[in-house]
Amino acid sequence: MFDRTLIRNFSIIAHIDHGKSTLADRILVATNAVAQRDMRAQFLDDMDLEREMGITIKANRATVFREFEGREYMLNLIDTPGHVDFHYEVSRAMAACEGVLLLVDASQGVQAQTVANAYLAIEAGLEIIPVINKIDLPTARPEDVALELEHVVGIPADQAVFTSAKTGVGLPELFKAIIERVPPPSGDVDAPLQALVYDAKPDVHRGVICHVRVREGRLNRGDRILLMAARRTYQVGEIGKFCPRPRMVDEIAAGEVGYIVAGIKTLHDVNIGDTITLDEPRADQALPGYKPPQRMVFCDFYPGPMTEAPELRSALEKLWLNDSSFSFDPVHSDALSFGFRCGFLGLLHMKIIQERLERESDIDVVQTAPTVNYEILLKSGQVVTIDSPSDLPDGSTVEEIREPVIAASLIVPADCIGAIMKIADDRRGQYQRTEYLSPERVMLTYRFPLAETIFDFYDRLKAATRGYGTMDYEFVGYEAGRLVKLDILVNGTPVDALSIIVHRDKAERRGRALIRRLRTEIERHLFDVPLQAAIGNRVIARETIKALRKNVTAKCYGGDVTRKRKLLEKQKEGKRRMKMVGQVTIPQEAFMAVLDPGDD
Amino acid sequence: MRAGLYVHVPFCPRKCGYCDFYSLVPDSSMTGPLVDALVAELNQVADAAAIHVETIFVGGGTPTSLPCEDLMRLMRTLGDIAGRDRVVEFTVEANPGTLDIQRAEILRSHGVTRVSIGAQSFDADELERLDRIHRPDQIALSAEIVRQTGFEHFSLDLIFGIPGQTPVSWQRSLESAIGLGPDHLACYGLTYEPGTPLYERLRRGEVTAADEDLEASLYEQGIAYLARVGFEQYEISNFARPGARCLHNLLYWQNQPTVGVGPSAVSYVAGTRRRNVPDWAEYVRRVRAELSPVSESETLGERARAGETAMLMLRLVEGIDRGRFRTATGFDPHELFGGVIEQHVATGLLEKDGERIALTTRGRLVADRVMADFLLPESKEGG
Repeated sequence: MFDRTLIRNFSIIAHIDHGKSTLADRILVATNAVAQRDMRAQFLDDMDLEREMGITIKANRATVFREFEGREYMLNLIDTPGHVDFHYEVSRAMAACEGVLLLVDASQGVQAQTVANAYLAIEAGLEIIPVINKIDLPTARPEDVALELEHVVGIPADQAVFTSAKTGVGLPELFKAIIERVPPPSGDVDAPLQALVYDAKPDVHRGVICHVRVREGRLNRGDRILLMAARRTYQVGEIGKFCPRPRMVDEIAAGEVGYIVAGIKTLHDVNIGDTITLDEPRADQALPGYKPPQRMVFCDFYPGPMTEAPELRSALEKLWLNDSSFSFDPVHSDALSFGFRCGFLGLLHMKIIQERLERESDIDVVQTAPTVNYEILLKSGQVVTIDSPSDLPDGSTVEEIREPVIAASLIVPADCIGAIMKIADDRRGQYQRTEYLSPERVMLTYRFPLAETIFDFYDRLKAATRGYGTMDYEFVGYEAGRLVKLDILVNGTPVDALSIIVHRDKAERRGRALIRRLRTEIERHLFDVPLQAAIGNRVIARETIKALRKNVTAKCYGGDVTRKRKLLEKQKEGKRRMKMVGQVTIPQEAFMAVLDPGDD
Repeated sequence: MRAGLYVHVPFCPRKCGYCDFYSLVPDSSMTGPLVDALVAELNQVADAAAIHVETIFVGGGTPTSLPCEDLMRLMRTLGDIAGRDRVVEFTVEANPGTLDIQRAEILRSHGVTRVSIGAQSFDADELERLDRIHRPDQIALSAEIVRQTGFEHFSLDLIFGIPGQTPVSWQRSLESAIGLGPDHLACYGLTYEPGTPLYERLRRGEVTAADEDLEASLYEQGIAYLARVGFEQYEISNFARPGARCLHNLLYWQNQPTVGVGPSAVSYVAGTRRRNVPDWAEYVRRVRAELSPVSESETLGERARAGETAMLMLRLVEGIDRGRFRTATGFDPHELFGGVIEQHVATGLLEKDGERIALTTRGRLVADRVMADFLLPESKEGG
């Protein structure tokens, strides 16, 4: 058995684009796990979409070996996603490690996700090795960045390792730091088995492949295992390690990571975070699990013009098998008919799911504007949660509407503070504190209603900071607010899919903006179409789409008849694809108009 | 069977930016073979005893841009048909700058009764924007030639909604046109047809289309003015003094049989619409080889044909004549379209009495929307 004291389990955490994937690639090459010539750029990101969007979505992993001072060490690298929506997956990966490399770009310096990830690692009790990367860049200022890190996160600057993942500079020092500073795993190979399922991937031929970290005991091929939360037993058919290609082994023991195949059919059958033990002898208790994924952003998916509802359902099911962190439930809208209400970790997550749906299943998806969920305290004392404004109970029964609130850290150039404060003010931000990372850079902490940040917020942050501003957030809880439901009436008919919940003080502005947008999205009809925004029975904004003035084919002689007829048929067909509300056809784009924040 | 005869001459001295008819600028070796082929195809039609030609319309392209000798050969053939079948109307399209006294005499001497001149505008800048070859003063010259030659009927085409056009310049064009003494006027809203140079210019943002409200008011302005000077509107874009309506075009709007000769020309006979190949060389090759020049054909089911007939008849100010519709399609319009008719009557876009269903003045402005509701899908055809 491999000497436990020579094992190191670690992951790399970083702000997006700070070079995490390049560093992972470099580690594979430096340990001869992958030959340089076989190295596709960013070997560890195995989905097309990830490569295209330049972000890592699913955690990947590799076991490599490195000789140091005469002894061979087993290094288990666990890659992590780097976007603010994926804290959940980052924390999953961390639960399988004893240490992290906190990677920071030597010219960009500490960013919001650097800080957020560092705190996650501190909370998890992991050894943190600061790695200042991209020191080959002419604009690199590694010493300053190390000081920033010391300032914000409290890790002494002299502990930082300076590297260039691109050129390989600093790699020996990095391996030295990993081997000397990341503690070897604890755990008793002779104790009853406790292994954490930290990820799971479906495989068409072999069923679910569980990625596990063995904490105590040993796991052998052929063992009969128990999934402690699911209370189901399986026979282990295959055990292996990712090197980074899967390589079969007979056993993995306390301190190691690897994968198992055990005839588990679908992802429904296994909970990420479950503990595996032997059917006999069993461990007394399960390892502390993960927090379940928290869905923060919701929207409806409806089948697009060329897609039927059952096709959308099977596409969602297929995707869910791959990413169980989003949810979907059937929903019916008066305006849009049958579809699915989906919940996501965040906006990026939503976008990724929508793109993967269209790409992997070749279907069209019509998406409604994202919203957050609300807690409603009823006069009866009962609390209900709604994830769509149209589900809001009748006003007379509602005591209080509570909205989700986040704590956001914004790292921005110091001379942009004024602009940020203006944006925060527009979005109902509550100022918490300011910390200087350096004389030029500052971290502002705010509380925001989540709903105020789901449209356009990040873009405005970037625009106000010349692209330098970064943000990270965490969910704080639900807080009561002066919230009202804004109804939109098209030609006198309320359209459920267009209603929004909004702060009373912003209702008028939002209502006006929304209706202005609708006026441009809905085409002219044969009659005037009034648009109204109303709170209860009080109309707060109105516009009219004037009736169509002229729509007539000028010439139609013998040679034109067929073509003109087909043109009219096509127009008619196009209308059939839009959503009819009363006598008015509403195009899909109109449903996104709800997002317009009405900012000046 | 009585039918209208259309002959397509696909040649122009220059291609206009807005035009989407099949036409090209020929070199001198092309006109002879084309006219040979037209004559050959016409002789086949003339030999088909089943067809009795009622009207003749020679369009294009610019028929009057043919060399005199070619024009003469074409007219001789058509004149024979006109004489034999006692054709009631024989129209030739002409463009200012191409109609001279000699050509006018060729037309007149072979029985042409009606000349239609593509004036388009009397504003020099507007003409240039349409890529027309002529200047405003050449329109008057052509009209003078027409009058002196002594045709029975004389029509002018105008376009409104030209980029840069104003109610004032439109009024000037209307008045100038009427001043030349035509008994028929066609006023077309400028259409940006995909595939034309003008459409590309619009797409690239090099021209700005007239806005919908302006276009609508120019249209209304034309209708009102022409009514004042004694021109009745009888179709969406066509106006005539009493007795001067274009009989040939009426056949199209009543979905009656027509025979098309020449490249890209369309025939509609016994419920089947056929289009000749829109390529002059291929057309000539096929006719010479005694092969059919038809490249596309469409036969609608009876419900779809009824829908199409309704679409066409609604273009007429008199609208769908109930008896004529029943004869043409076998359906009673109220039985087929009852709900649609009621809906649009209720909103004031259609009007009806016992015998007619017609667009109102307001309905005519949004005719496409209304007509679309009359189209019946093929899929509902039984068998």
